[in-house]
Parts: sequence; C-alpha cells; structure tokens
Amino acid sequence: MTVLCVRDLRVRYSAKGPEILKGIDFDVQADDFMAIIGPSGAGKSTLIRCINRLVEPSSGKITLLDQDVRSLSPKNLRGLRRDVGMIFQEFNLINRMSVMDNVLSGRLGYTGNLRTLFRHFSKPDIEMALEYLDRVGLSDHIDKRADELSGGQRQRVGIARALMQKPKLLLLDEPTSALDPKISREVMALIQSIAKELGVPALCNIHDVQLAKEFCNRIIGLQDGVKKFDGETDNLRDRDLEIIYALEVL
Amino acid sequence: MSKNSASLAGQLDLRRNRQNKLLVGWTLFLIVAVWCAYGTIIQDTDWSRIGGRSGVLASIGRYISLDLKLLPELLIPTIETFMMACVGTILGCFFSLPVAWLGASNVTPSKHILYPLGRFLMVISRSVHEIVWALIFVSVVGLGALPGILAIAMRSVGFISKITAEAIENIDKNPVETIRAVGGNEFQVLYYGILPQIYPVVLATVIFEWDINIRRSAVMGLVGAGGLGLLFFRQMNSFNYGGVTMVILAILMLIVIGEIISHYLRKAVI
Repeated sequence: MTVLCVRDLRVRYSAKGPEILKGIDFDVQADDFMAIIGPSGAGKSTLIRCINRLVEPSSGKITLLDQDVRSLSPKNLRGLRRDVGMIFQEFNLINRMSVMDNVLSGRLGYTGNLRTLFRHFSKPDIEMALEYLDRVGLSDHIDKRADELSGGQRQRVGIARALMQKPKLLLLDEPTSALDPKISREVMALIQSIAKELGVPALCNIHDVQLAKEFCNRIIGLQDGVKKFDGETDNLRDRDLEIIYALEVL
Repeated sequence: MSKNSASLAGQLDLRRNRQNKLLVGWTLFLIVAVWCAYGTIIQDTDWSRIGGRSGVLASIGRYISLDLKLLPELLIPTIETFMMACVGTILGCFFSLPVAWLGASNVTPSKHILYPLGRFLMVISRSVHEIVWALIFVSVVGLGALPGILAIAMRSVGFISKITAEAIENIDKNPVETIRAVGGNEFQVLYYGILPQIYPVVLATVIFEWDINIRRSAVMGLVGAGGLGLLFFRQMNSFNYGGVTMVILAILMLIVIGEIISHYLRKAVI
C-alpha cells in the first residue's frame, strides 16, 4: 500500500532564487524504512519538510494518506501534521520544560487552547507518555529539564514525542548527525524497531551511507535537487554512490 | 644604529605631535568649562537673594528639623505610591503584549501596516515623559491614583514591549517548527514554541521596570496624580521644610525596599 506519493516536486524559496528541488518523484510503501542520501545542499531537508508543508512546494503533487497535501486548508493541514511524526537533527526540544512536558507536547495537535494554557493533558495521554518514555529508556529522567540531558537522551525524548502523535508516517531529518557513532547506531536501531513494532513507515534523511545501508530497506539518492538513485538497498552499488556524491568530489 | 636613531627621531616626532593635540584638546575643554560656569552660575544667579554664607546654611537647616507630626499621614500615601507602581506595571505588561506582538518582525500579523504601528507605539510611550502622561490623564480622569496608574502603565509599555519584541525576534526557530510539525495551532506555537524562550528576559525586564516605576510614582503627585508626590507638594507649598524631608525619607525608604525586593526577584527568575 502506498502511504506517500510524490510527483514532480519542485521548490524555489523565492521567485528569482535557484530551484532547490527539480522535479522529484518517489513513493513510500506502508512497510518502508526509506533513506534519502546525498551530499549537503542536495535538498534532503527541504524535501522532507515539503511532506508536511513546513516548506511550501512551488509545484508538483504530494499525496499523503489519500489526501492532496498542497490543497489542504490550514485546519486540515494541522490535522495532517498530527498524523506525521517528525524527529529532528537538533532534537528541537523546549529546553526550559521537563522531559514529560516535552513528550506531552506531541499531543498538542489533539489538545484545545484552554487545556494547552494550563498544560492539562488527559490521563490516557499521560499514561501513553509514561509508556513511551519507558520504551525509549528514559523512565529515570521524566522530571528533569530537557537541557540537562545528553545528546542521545535528548533524541530519545524527540522520538517519544513523535510517537505521542500516533503517527502514520515518520519523518526523520538527520536524526543522528548530532550524535557520536555509537549512540547514532543505538538511536537508529531504536527508531527502526519501534517503526516495525507500530507498523509505521519512515522516511529518513541521512548523510551517513553506512547507517543508511544498515537500517533502511530502500534508498533515494539526491544530488543538487535531482534524484539520481531510487531502489532497494541491496541494489545500491559503489558506482551509484559515485554518481550521487560526484559534485562533492569536485 | 642609524636605523635605530631614525626610528627614535620618528618616535619623538610622533610623541610631540600627540602632545600638541592633547594640549589643544585640554585647552578647548577648559575654555568651554569656564564659559559654561560663567554664563550659568556667575551671571545667572541672583546673588543678592542668596544672602551670606549663614543664609545658605540656615536654608539647608530648615530641612534638617524633621516634622515627626507628619508620620501618621505618611502611611497611606506611601502605600498608595507603592500600589500605583505595582498596578501600573501590571497594566503596562498587559498593554505591552499586543504591542510586542505587532512590533516583532517575525511574528507580526502584517509587516507593512501593523509592524510599523507597533514600533510607533513603542516610541510614543517612551518619548512622552511620565509627568506629561500624568498631566494628560489627570485632565481625562481627574485627580487621584488612577491617572498615576495609567501614566505609569503608558510609560512602561515602550520599554517592556521593545525588549519583549527583541526577545521574540531572537528566538531559536526550531521549537516553533516542532510545534507546527505536531499539528499545533498559532496559539500553541506561541505558548510552547516562543514563550518558554522569552519569559526569563521578559520577567527580568518587568522587574526592572517596576523598580523604576516606584521612583516614577513618587513624583506623580506633583501634577495631582496621588501618592507621596501630592504630600510633598503640599508640604512645599505650606513651607513645611521638615515635612518635605519626611516625605523624601519615605520615598527613599520605598526605593530601598523596591531595590531589595527586585534584587531577590531577579535572582529567583534567572
């Protein structure tokens, strides 16, 4: 089953600026853990942010969970974003809030303004938060401030927050590039096992080809806004990598 | 050797040059200072009215004899002054919120109309003196503490909203993006993405402004807006110099108390 379908996606940040994405096509299936690899500046982050319209595409078609993403009203867009869990390179936690409050903020899309004002989350939400905090191994740090945690722990909070959304798709924007190699592997393994467990497909920007090969079943290679490779991980040859990273060598 | 002596000559030249510049600078300064003193102090003073040295001392002496009978009358105006500062600051905070929202370039609802309006309101608030604000409000709502509170609130808006707007402009955008990504609405973005980042700065600013507002509310009475200033004005008009000193001491005490409280509050916030 196709969860996400992207056709001829083009992005320009300003009318006269350069085209960042130059007509990208790809599909994500329900059981995919897909990597987007490519040199920095290739448009990986832009591509992933187009899916939930944190970046507005200039043209093309994005169909996510049978909805035409580009034509959604602001209200429906918020509804769609709720269904898409996102994990960030810099973790993007609210530093002055506790771990628990950060995890609960994943429920904001389901929470009214008055309840937001008093940070009053429902009992099932709190139960779910405790469960996911346990799942990512942070049960001992629930009431700590987010900025007291180490990098790996902070990313685990980010993972728990994304899971709180009950996502139907996970977007991962370089989830490991702020972490050391050992922690990176642990975090990727954790995300992969949770995604499998919950049956959620994932789309993951990653510049570390080794990690991509290890954890992802399909790979898209981007170079300067153009797709240069799209296929099973096993079919990725050194020759393809040379093409994808050709500009970086120059 | 010859190179050394050449550089020595160069150094001497350079130093002489600098000495000459300093000489000219200090001479000019002295001339201006003498001219100012002559114009304002010597020419502009009514020497015959001052009288002799004893006259001056006697005038100062009148202030030293405290009027302790005024003590019971001081209590209510002192509290009124304090409350005027507190209520005025709180009211100023409420006015500041929308102004900061309009005047922060990254969150303003309209960059071409409302953003300049926000900035304009900040400037207006600060460029009108608190006494002038008080005069305006006395003529609008009459005598008493209310015009003082309004004047202090109006005067506080400029500083609080400017610092708040700048804090909003300097936030880290990542948490904002995150709250958008979880499906949060604009209020939730503001409440979770922006507020936690700016509140320490805003609170410290408000405490600072409150500290200043105690001073401001002490003089509000000079134009009929209640508090210790009014009492001060009355003592001055009835030539009760001892009473004037009493009021000044009360103001001093208030300010010291405010200073102590704000010291601890600021510590608690940061």
